[in-house]
Amino acid sequence: MSKYGKGVAALLILAVAASAGWVWFNGHSAPGQILEIYQNGQLVETVNLTQSGQPQTIVLEGDNGAENTVLIQDGQVCMSHATCPDQVCVNQGWISDSAVPIVCLPNQVILQIKGGGGTLDAIAG
Amino acid sequence: MTPSPDKGARRITRLALLTAIALTIFMVEAQIPVPIPIPGVKLGLANIITVYAVFVLSRRDALLILIVRVFLGSVFSGQMLMLLYSMGGGLLCWLALALLRGILSPREIWLASPVSAVCHNIGQLLVAAAVMKTWAVLAYLPYLLIAGVASGLFTGLCAQFLIQRLGRIPPSK
Repeated sequence: MSKYGKGVAALLILAVAASAGWVWFNGHSAPGQILEIYQNGQLVETVNLTQSGQPQTIVLEGDNGAENTVLIQDGQVCMSHATCPDQVCVNQGWISDSAVPIVCLPNQVILQIKGGGGTLDAIAG
Repeated sequence: MTPSPDKGARRITRLALLTAIALTIFMVEAQIPVPIPIPGVKLGLANIITVYAVFVLSRRDALLILIVRVFLGSVFSGQMLMLLYSMGGGLLCWLALALLRGILSPREIWLASPVSAVCHNIGQLLVAAAVMKTWAVLAYLPYLLIAGVASGLFTGLCAQFLIQRLGRIPPSK
């Protein structure tokens, strides 16, 4: 293997190791308290998760008939329905911490939980 | 291994053929459900053609194939919104391959693919961050990086085998 080949391989291994470490240490943080819903880059709704006793649904209507339904229950959040073609956001299931937000790329909707000591707050802010 | 540079109708035909193959692979792959629910995670089989084109043909021809494939792929899948994401990822992916072509030996082509896959993911995330006006999407980066290296190794080995096998077939006169 050439020295460049070795360099590229080392770089890849380093990147994967760093990512795995990041996922390992930050994949699960304490449950967050505030849910922020962004649509088309703007904050459209803020929900206090600690007070949500009853299940709550929020329907977001976007451009060209796009529609996303957010379900909030017991401090957890999921995208229960979406008109997007890939359904990645629906398949992601429930989130309760700030580790990874639910993102619907086609409909430009983000469900982001804040608080709970998640380390991503600084980045997401 | 490298065919002599084509000109005129021969070059156009080769480019059209590779674009058609890449587009077909892209459309077939779009029908396969991805078990990991993270936006941007996919096998990226069409990258085999991009890697092949960058290393065997030329950087310029590879860019032409990539742009036409990404554009037509968005048209045919009916998701014009995804064109932005795919183009951002595709261009950064091509840039990585174009740089690596100069420094990797012919037996190390498979190493280029994971780098380009990760660059594709980074490009997509940057476009997503710009479109949604938030850095929150970057939380996906470590997941995409691991998935990108894994799928990139697979497509890279595919491209490596493809290039070596095709090199054994004598060019038609």
